[in-house]
Amino acid sequence: MKISIIGAATTKFGELWNSSPRELAKEAFSSAITQANVDAKKIEALYVGNMLGGLLGHQENIGSFYAEELGLAPVPAFRLEAACASGGVALHNAINSIKAGLYKTVAVLGIEKMTDAGGDLVASALMAAGSDEERGSGITFPGLYALMAQAYMAQYKISEQDLAEVAVKNHYHGSFNHKAQFRFPVTVSDVMKSSRIADPLKLLDCSPVTDGGACLIITSDGALMSKKGVSIVASEVGTDTLALHKRSSFTSLRAAKEAAKRAYAKAGVSAEDIDVAEVHDCFSIAELIALEDLGFSEVGKAAGDVKKGKFTRGKGRTIVNPSGGLKACGHPVGATGIKQAIEIYEQLMGTARDKQSVKNAKIGLAHNVGGSGAIATVHIFRRI
Amino acid sequence: MITTPVKLWRRGKKLVNHIGKTGTLLHWTIVRVPPKHFADQAPYPVGIVKLDDGEMMVGQIVDWSEKDLKSGREVVAVMRRITHEDAENIIPYGIKFKPV
Repeated sequence: MKISIIGAATTKFGELWNSSPRELAKEAFSSAITQANVDAKKIEALYVGNMLGGLLGHQENIGSFYAEELGLAPVPAFRLEAACASGGVALHNAINSIKAGLYKTVAVLGIEKMTDAGGDLVASALMAAGSDEERGSGITFPGLYALMAQAYMAQYKISEQDLAEVAVKNHYHGSFNHKAQFRFPVTVSDVMKSSRIADPLKLLDCSPVTDGGACLIITSDGALMSKKGVSIVASEVGTDTLALHKRSSFTSLRAAKEAAKRAYAKAGVSAEDIDVAEVHDCFSIAELIALEDLGFSEVGKAAGDVKKGKFTRGKGRTIVNPSGGLKACGHPVGATGIKQAIEIYEQLMGTARDKQSVKNAKIGLAHNVGGSGAIATVHIFRRI
Repeated sequence: MITTPVKLWRRGKKLVNHIGKTGTLLHWTIVRVPPKHFADQAPYPVGIVKLDDGEMMVGQIVDWSEKDLKSGREVVAVMRRITHEDAENIIPYGIKFKPV
């Protein structure tokens, strides 16, 4: 069964104090449905990726909340929560529902409103994605990834400057993206001088707290597809222990490796075939681990590859995080997985805001991670 | 961290078994931007510890100095206050690690 994206739109990402979650959802959905050129009556179900609506917004029952707001009620509507992979998991379930023959055309919304709350509250709320033992230690998400960074740096002998190169690349990419939260380049020295958050990670190693919405319209209905389009050819999910300290490796994510392995097999492609990828760089170390888990770099070699420009626009073979990634584009946690899919869609369609970012891309990949690696989704897209 | 008296009581029954166990610090970080309820303790180190019996744990390192923060440092599990008392006046206790 061919499942294609026919509409895709995000809001601006950033500190959007003027916008409510309802307004962000409406903006993303309206743009996506206009682009899809279909009547909203064609939408048979709504899937929503959202993590913090309850903890920060005191709003649960989120499927109905957005079905009402988008004027889609009484269609079935579901909220999918998988921490920062909520978007990827929502897309996976939307695809499954179409494959099961329940619906032909569905909307997938990713939405998060984070900056209305104070930083300590957001840090605590995000730790709901971790294990209770880790919460009791007072560790934070930057802290968990800092532990992975320490393990990685010791094992593969890389420096804090090497980690910083990831932020430098993604800020460079983000500087071209008018929807990105941060549109300015940074240097290794800027990263090194930024304040320490959880050693060895500094402020500029970390993705920001962000508001944003993203919406996809996907269908199996041939009558709604244009001649030129993008198909989703693989959608896979892997899981692992909630707690980082219970894992056998701190330098790779089993959930992501499993999802990637199955996605490549389903799509009949390998890492070398991927022209463009959006990977989950919530922290600089996370992108190095992602590049290796996805097979873009040999184990232990990702930092060197990033430094050489292997994943940089205008230089590399596989362009990684052309949107600026979570680091520069921003990370509204439930929206990120959908935004990644939209970025890949636009790159494959050649409609990305800046056509120079990736030339003539045919196959793309999105890698979305929840928690410190307890869940991961990998989607592969192909231009048709 | 959200606690309730019942949760703390249930958890506490298991935690006491760890007191006095020794192990090795594998990896560590210093949390400088803490979550809610931990502000008065920051900055504080948190480490992944492998106990001598093979069990892996994560916990704060207490009574530390810069030289203790290295892979391979021997530590012992101690019972310490985790945060201040909550709205129900219960003080949560838990395992932390002290260099030996």
